[in-house]
Amino acid sequence: MADVSVKTNPKQSRSMLEVAVDKIWRFFTSVRNAVYEIAFLTLLVLIGTLRGSSVPQWIADTIPALQPLVDRWYAWDVWRSSLFAITLAVIAVAIVICTLNRLPGIWTTITNPKVSTSRGFLRGAETNAVYTLTGTHEDILGSIERVLKGKRYRVLTEKVGDETHFYADKNRFSNLGTFPFHIGLILILVGGIVASVYGFRDNEFIIPEGSRRNVGHGTGLSVELNRFRDNWSAVGVPIDYVSDITVYEDGQPVKSGSVRVNGPLSYGNATFYQSSFGIAAHLSIVDSSGNMVFSDAVDLGLFTKRDNPDQPAGVARLPQENAQLVVIGPDSDPFNAPELDTMQLQSGQLWVSLESLGESTDVTGSGGEGVVLTQGQPTRVGDYTVTFEREGRFSVLQVGYNPGIPIFIISVFWVLGGLIITFYFPHRRVRGIISDGPDGTTASIAPLAKRDWSGKREFFTLVEKWNETLGTKPAIRLPANATDYDYLRAHENDAGI
Amino acid sequence: MDGLVRFSFYAFAASSMAIIAAAIAYVVFGVGRVRVLRQTLATSTGHTVTSSQLHQEAGPIGFARWGLMLTWFGMFFAGVAIVTRWIAAGHFPISNMYEYSLVFLFSITLMYIVFERAYGVRQLGAIVMPIAAGMTLYIWSLDPNMREVNPLIPALQAGWIMPFHVGSFNLAYATFAVAFAAAILFLVAERTNAKWLPSAEMLDDVAFRAVSVGFPLFTLGLILGSVWAHDAWGVYWQWDPKETAALFTWLVYGVYLHTRTLRGWRGRRSAYVLLFGFAATAFTYYGNYFFGGLHAYGGV
Ligand code: HEM
Repeated sequence: MADVSVKTNPKQSRSMLEVAVDKIWRFFTSVRNAVYEIAFLTLLVLIGTLRGSSVPQWIADTIPALQPLVDRWYAWDVWRSSLFAITLAVIAVAIVICTLNRLPGIWTTITNPKVSTSRGFLRGAETNAVYTLTGTHEDILGSIERVLKGKRYRVLTEKVGDETHFYADKNRFSNLGTFPFHIGLILILVGGIVASVYGFRDNEFIIPEGSRRNVGHGTGLSVELNRFRDNWSAVGVPIDYVSDITVYEDGQPVKSGSVRVNGPLSYGNATFYQSSFGIAAHLSIVDSSGNMVFSDAVDLGLFTKRDNPDQPAGVARLPQENAQLVVIGPDSDPFNAPELDTMQLQSGQLWVSLESLGESTDVTGSGGEGVVLTQGQPTRVGDYTVTFEREGRFSVLQVGYNPGIPIFIISVFWVLGGLIITFYFPHRRVRGIISDGPDGTTASIAPLAKRDWSGKREFFTLVEKWNETLGTKPAIRLPANATDYDYLRAHENDAGI
Repeated sequence: MDGLVRFSFYAFAASSMAIIAAAIAYVVFGVGRVRVLRQTLATSTGHTVTSSQLHQEAGPIGFARWGLMLTWFGMFFAGVAIVTRWIAAGHFPISNMYEYSLVFLFSITLMYIVFERAYGVRQLGAIVMPIAAGMTLYIWSLDPNMREVNPLIPALQAGWIMPFHVGSFNLAYATFAVAFAAAILFLVAERTNAKWLPSAEMLDDVAFRAVSVGFPLFTLGLILGSVWAHDAWGVYWQWDPKETAALFTWLVYGVYLHTRTLRGWRGRRSAYVLLFGFAATAFTYYGNYFFGGLHAYGGV
């Protein structure tokens, strides 16, 4: 026994592997399974969608026994669940395998279709037309072909014995249309994955007017705010605010433009959105030997004074000096909680305090060593001379960096292009045999249009044209639903139809 | 109300009357004449036997012709209402459910006319036009304040994309209504072999053609929506319920398209998927009533 199993095992296990591969392959190539897979995805999307509504609660209110289930429903984040990801993955795999499986067959239909046919097929077709004619096969075929070519059909012929068989089709590339469409769907998923893995978002990218800031994250981008503009309505509501910016890549200016609410500016995979804005103070700081160690704007907006939220604060960092200057501005809303405004700063004044670098990013402003600056007056602060040059503004942008964008754009073209090819350029096919009989030469023609109403309608328009070029009317086998066709209705009383 | 806005409202009123009248005309045509055929037979035994039979025929064609003309009126006046309001407001009218629904009225009448002309199946009107009429009633039931023109909230001010986003969705909804009507007629034709209806095969083709117009439009609507979301909010897709409701509807029609390629599914099961698809479409359309979130329009 053991002996036998040792001998047969390698062969058997290979065939088992083959069987397994074959089974998996068949599973994924089945369109029936695809329907179930898409239906399952549809169900998940519905569950996830309803989670954002009160529908589940309504169900629980109606059937209280379901409350625990409904609670779990609300707790389940479908979009981030592994079940959802697996479903998408299965569908992606099914699409790829299905594509690979179908491609050779479709390619053969396009490049090398079977031309010869059988009388049985023509006779059994739901509809066909049989012309009785005189003339050579070449002449008759020529007339038939002229009509087909005029309607953009390709015509292929083959001699079978003393019969002439022909096959004609148009839009033969139509069946390929589902490929770009389905592959485009996968590409959209890929774009989403690329975006979430390699992209980032910075919701508080602050640039004071006249300054330049690095975007970071290894993008090599920096942005300069050239000018900030705002418009206010009579009642003090901001109507519009606009940042005129220049984007630099590796130090070179690469794009300039304005950014407003709902009007972002994109450069490459980065997009800049207008978010908000605030007040900035331009400071210059000179050390004891007269060297300028800082000349830039400090945005007063990211922080506030700890014990008075109406007083904006900011930090000027001096890394070479291992120092930082905490800056606090005047109370922006003196009527709100006036008792908190212990500094009593006037417009044009700033309170600053020198600390060692990184000492506290938490700007308390409660240290004793603070100094009040007045605009335009150089003032000693520790070992430095600090000047409050002028007031300006800063703009808060959001930076979205999405390397999936090019993939998304390409997939959009694939998806829409694929749909247009599939739906608006349908593959149409006709087969026929020209043969000699006792009553003369007959041309029997039938469309490949089983259960295809439009396909048959197209065939009837061809018949109408053939009637003209062949100069006679055929014996037509009518489909069961003949009265649905305008053409036939109009010709009902004609001979032969 | 300023003059042009009022003019637009009257145009809507004219449109809604035409659409309701069209719906009635098509229903009269579609339901047709139900006649009781009574036959009296003398039998060989000398008795007489009466048999009565319900018999349905196509309604008077005149009603369908009237219906079509009124539908043209409905489309024209809905178009006038949209254009005048567009001029008055200075932006494409999509700021609230009233305006949004005007676009739908225009779309559904347009798509109905296109399909009636393409196939000549007038019975479709007996289902599509009542849907349109129901829509006009819904619009009348909305808060009258919506008939005023209000400034657009900034999120909706996104230039050229918005009209195309809304337009392609509405046209898609409208073609799905046509597909829905064809699916119902298909199920009737298939079961009853009704002489007053075209063949089931033709109705199946009408439904498929409607979806083959609607599905790409819906796809385009989804794509434009995500492009617009990117401009407005910085992300293409946020899994917002209104977005995912649209995705859900799109997938249902994806299922439909695949069932058509399957033996044993094409036909009846495909038609059932279409009925479900139209329910999903309505769910997407009225999604604002179920969800809060980014797509909550003014007034809803
Ligand atoms: C589960 C993975 C999928 C597989 C294996 C698959 C397979 C196929 C196949 C084989 C066809 C061609 C049918 C034919 O021409 O006879 C097809 C058509 C199509 N599929 Fe898919 N598909 C999948 C997913 C999807 C998804 C997710 C969608 C979008 C909702 C979709 C939308 C379509 C469309 C629009 C057509 C064209 C239908 C037509 O020609 O009438 N497919 N699919």
